[in-house]
Amino acid sequence: MKPILVKGSEAIALGALAAGCRCYFGYPITPQNEIPELLARELPKRGGVFLQAESELAAANMLLGAASTGVRAMTSSSSPGISLMAEAFSYMAALELPAVVVNVARGGPGLGGIEASQGDYFQATKGAGHGDYHFLVLSPASIQEAYELTARAFDLAEKYRQPVMILTDALLGQMKEPLILRKIKPRKYPKDWALTGAKGRPGRVLRSLFLGPGELRSRNELLQKKYRAMRREVRVESYLLEGAELVVSAFGSLARIVKEAVNLAREKGYPVGFLRPITLFPFPEREFRKLAEAGVRFLVVELNCGQMVEDVRLSICGSTEVRSLPFPPSDLPAPEDIYREIKRCLRSPRR
Amino acid sequence: MPITKEKDLLATYAENTWCPGCGNFGLLAAVKKVLKEFREKNELHRLVMVSGIGCHAKIVDYVPVNSFYSIHGRVLPVAWGIKLAHPELTVIGHAGDGDAYGEGLAHLIFAAKRNTDLTFIVHNNSVYGLTTGQFTPTSPKGFKGRSTPKGSPETPINPIELLLASGATFVARGYVGKLEHLANLIREAIRHRGFAFIDVLQPCYTFFNTYEFYNQHVKEISPEHDSRDFSAAMELALKWSYSFEAEEIPIGIFYQTEKPVYEDAVIVPEKKVDLGEHFRHYHL
Repeated sequence: MKPILVKGSEAIALGALAAGCRCYFGYPITPQNEIPELLARELPKRGGVFLQAESELAAANMLLGAASTGVRAMTSSSSPGISLMAEAFSYMAALELPAVVVNVARGGPGLGGIEASQGDYFQATKGAGHGDYHFLVLSPASIQEAYELTARAFDLAEKYRQPVMILTDALLGQMKEPLILRKIKPRKYPKDWALTGAKGRPGRVLRSLFLGPGELRSRNELLQKKYRAMRREVRVESYLLEGAELVVSAFGSLARIVKEAVNLAREKGYPVGFLRPITLFPFPEREFRKLAEAGVRFLVVELNCGQMVEDVRLSICGSTEVRSLPFPPSDLPAPEDIYREIKRCLRSPRR
Repeated sequence: MPITKEKDLLATYAENTWCPGCGNFGLLAAVKKVLKEFREKNELHRLVMVSGIGCHAKIVDYVPVNSFYSIHGRVLPVAWGIKLAHPELTVIGHAGDGDAYGEGLAHLIFAAKRNTDLTFIVHNNSVYGLTTGQFTPTSPKGFKGRSTPKGSPETPINPIELLLASGATFVARGYVGKLEHLANLIREAIRHRGFAFIDVLQPCYTFFNTYEFYNQHVKEISPEHDSRDFSAAMELALKWSYSFEAEEIPIGIFYQTEKPVYEDAVIVPEKKVDLGEHFRHYHL
């Protein structure tokens, strides 16, 4: 199949179309406008609905409405817009609605900037809204992966009746790369919960208000059970782990720069490996723990002030050394910057 | 643009990054005309400007006054906070049409309802300029933008009609192509005690160039119009519904009236509180 040259944002929109997404709701914000623009063109041709809402609040609640009918639906935004949607996210998680949310993240906090940033890791993985809930979070590192993970997100959303977030950033969203439009076969899951009109059957109720004694507790326990079950969806990319004494970990677009640094170090004979979480929630705890048990040390590189490093530390429970190499948004590190830190780590005695 | 000595006195460190031909230059010039008068009276310090997010928002970088670059859609809540904490300040809010009529519409209706004493200037270009050309709440039906390749299916909001219906006490429309007229509207709005609203037609030269249309159709409201007459104001408001098919676009003050001002009702003059008196019942 001949590749096409597209931006990451366009690849995400194409992935959604390939997965049979029927409804899109959003509000303009940089750097993700190519997603709505492509879907504004293509969704109506496929009998779908594209709607530019009056605000992110409206868009997120429209998504909630569409998803509750069992239709494949999505929204996209960038960091400040995602914050505005947080209220609806909590409700969508509580109602167990399959929906896809894309965050093409930019620098924060506050208005921040429009450069690439991974500062929304906590927001994405720990739940941006109120209550005990999580989104299933996928983070692509290439444009091909952005396409495929977006398509997969719709399947996972229906499989677990669960909102799924694609967390990417301005770097991947705005750069162009060849994409092979691999044909995707959307999976089918029963939708015996969807609100589709109660003709000939009893009505269905979607609610998140539970006032009866113990009701809310069992509701929360069910959600937690589901989150544990989602662990079987954990995906990582591992590279050069054999003989590695230090494993460098990063996610998303930054992981490519990190991989370059790992190659550089290996060429010079340093025993370094690479591990990239693709699912950020559920977090690949077991993968990290196994390496820690083998005595490997970790260096976690992020385009923020150090967020994922907390999950790595939790996964290995202090059994080995975990160093953080944070790059707060503004500058992209060069592979050499990371390579220097790799050397420093390996030369320093174990703590 | 040649810089006169006069303008230099109101210049700032910031380099202007609006597109050449942007309607915001006209609005900035009108604002500066009014600021000059504040400066001459040595009163620039008691002015605060608040802007939202969008091309309009950069205006606070281009004038030497106290300013707050706020959140998209939230200009009014921030302006209320400033005014209620410091009622002696003159507060001017700037917002774009997406900002004021989309993201923050609920606040706009409540601004009219509360009647806090501040001036609100909407830089209305009927397009999202900063995100490069999507339709906004005031884009005409059929508008072909980047998110509406087949034309917008929605009819635009008429903000003048909306603000009249919401009970605003000062409702006006200006055009950046009529500089003196616009400066006068801003002057009057600041002088008005209560919530003063100006919808300013401000073409986006890059994504929705409406200069020619406005130049042909904009017409100053006749001095015969009684701006205290609500029905006459509403009738005038309905003459143009942001459709871009109009015969005539009235600009000027549609309506002006007096109503109690919010801060007068909620701010009690400071007085010494006798805690002993307060806790009398607790037998301290």
